Amino acid sequence: MKKESILLLAAVLALPLVLRPAIASEIWIFAIFGLGLNLLLGYTGLLSFGQSTFFGSAAYVAGWLLKHYGINVFLALGLGVFVGAASAALVGYLCVQRSGLYFIMLTFALNQLFYFVAYQWTSVTGGEDGMPGIPRPAFLGIDFGDPLAYYVFVSTLFLLSLWIMKRIVESPLGRILQAIRENEVRAEAVGYNVARFKLAAFVIGGAFSGLAGVLYAMLFGIVPLEAIGFVTSGNAVFATLIGGSGSLYGPIIGSFVFIWLSESVSTLWARWPLLLGVAFVIVVLFLRGGIVEAWARFWSWQSSKQKT
Amino acid sequence: MSLLAGQILNGIATGMLYALMGLGLSLITGILNIPNFAHGALFAVGAYLLVTAVNVFGNFWIGLVVAPVGVALLGLAIEYAGIRRLYAAGHDYQLLFTFGLSLILAEAIILVWGPVGISHLPPEILRGGVDLGFTFYPKYRLFVTGVAGLLVFLTWLFLEKTRYGAIMRAGIENKEMVSLLGIDVHRLFTAAFALGAYLAGIAGALTAPIRGLSPGMGVDMLGIAFVVVALGGLGNLLGAIAAGLLIGVAQAVVAAYWTEASTVVIYAVMAAVLLVRPQGLFGIR
Repeated sequence: MKKESILLLAAVLALPLVLRPAIASEIWIFAIFGLGLNLLLGYTGLLSFGQSTFFGSAAYVAGWLLKHYGINVFLALGLGVFVGAASAALVGYLCVQRSGLYFIMLTFALNQLFYFVAYQWTSVTGGEDGMPGIPRPAFLGIDFGDPLAYYVFVSTLFLLSLWIMKRIVESPLGRILQAIRENEVRAEAVGYNVARFKLAAFVIGGAFSGLAGVLYAMLFGIVPLEAIGFVTSGNAVFATLIGGSGSLYGPIIGSFVFIWLSESVSTLWARWPLLLGVAFVIVVLFLRGGIVEAWARFWSWQSSKQKT
Repeated sequence: MSLLAGQILNGIATGMLYALMGLGLSLITGILNIPNFAHGALFAVGAYLLVTAVNVFGNFWIGLVVAPVGVALLGLAIEYAGIRRLYAAGHDYQLLFTFGLSLILAEAIILVWGPVGISHLPPEILRGGVDLGFTFYPKYRLFVTGVAGLLVFLTWLFLEKTRYGAIMRAGIENKEMVSLLGIDVHRLFTAAFALGAYLAGIAGALTAPIRGLSPGMGVDMLGIAFVVVALGGLGNLLGAIAAGLLIGVAQAVVAAYWTEASTVVIYAVMAAVLLVRPQGLFGIR
């Protein structure tokens, strides 16, 4: 096994020993969300500021069916993946026809469309109060109500997601997406239908977001309105960038940092978004390239100091 | 019928405010080539500054002059201290920076002015309505339509008829060429950001007496400004006005019959237009 795999397995096993299982689960869920975004941001060069659209839509649809019809866990997950992919296909169809700054603004504007539907459709979504009462039904005698059992479930799905994503980015499709990132015009000239490949990346990213959304709804038993709001989209971008969008593992590290940061600070001060904003600004001005690169720079600085 | 006519007039007033927002964003986005996620926050700061200025000076007119200038100065500081360092960075980091700024400004508003919404009355002379024959129309909205129209006209005059305006338009087309002609592009960028911030600030100040103020007003407006730019096109003045009026009127008309859908309709109209015309209303770039 490679070094990364061993490190990851160790992290999966050790995390519930040092953190509450709920927070440990949240880290892997957010990492799945980040994997989806990174296919767009890191591999295709598409900056989507609307990923919570798919995360939230899946959470609402699957949450509603779990709550009112008691569907089983795997059906809920399947539905979440489907809703994530389908909503991404809708949004993506409108967005991929424009590029650059227009693309970014459209993903945000369409995110707002879904947000306001959720905000106003109170009979289903509960509006500002969120949609509470989502169960974690037992499956084949395994009680997912137990936080540790749910943690094992979530982390297994995360490892599965990571494996699938690795296969995707190393597949011919993944190579084409990277070619689009490097030079869109050339990819088009070589004969690839760039818009269609961008849409494919969008749909895959949406499917991962949808999976994360359903797991999130079951973890907390509620879909808060923020799950489909712009702050969630922004957090995903932040986590991916802070981890480093250049690698497959960047969003995983970013998810660690972000969830740990938000869980430890948000309980201390109600004005936590202020600190989050300050963190964004500091990262952009001083830590561009993400933690992975900052770490590498720190080490090369250390070793150069030792030499002299 | 008079309800519908009244709503269309209402829609024109808010539509002109949307156009101002879109125009300012369009200048910033077009010239600096950055996604400005702080544009809505600048709008909100403009509204809150107006309220404070009116309280301090006891005069609406002074407030209306002072507040947007304050926002323009804030824009100047933001460009100078932060965005200037990010022109070489990717859109992702520029986005994260401006988004971080918008979070900071929204929280700063809560810390300074409190989390609860504030209502603000228009000045004495602009209260009440005028009889247009078929409907009574609030004087203040008439005033807003006029001022916003005047500002759009002045911006047009500046961009089309002055030397510096021509440089700005050239900056949207081709920055490299402008810089090769010996023009200080950095100063151009700062000026464009300050002008865009000014327009956002005055849109906020004008909005305060219509809708009241709340810390979340900035984000709501940010989405709308994006819609205007996506439909109207970057740097397209007429596009911004057409897109602003389109969504303003659509919103007002829908609000008369189905209040809950009045915000959703803005984005639904955008999606519908893009479905038919992916390149936006006028299809420029």
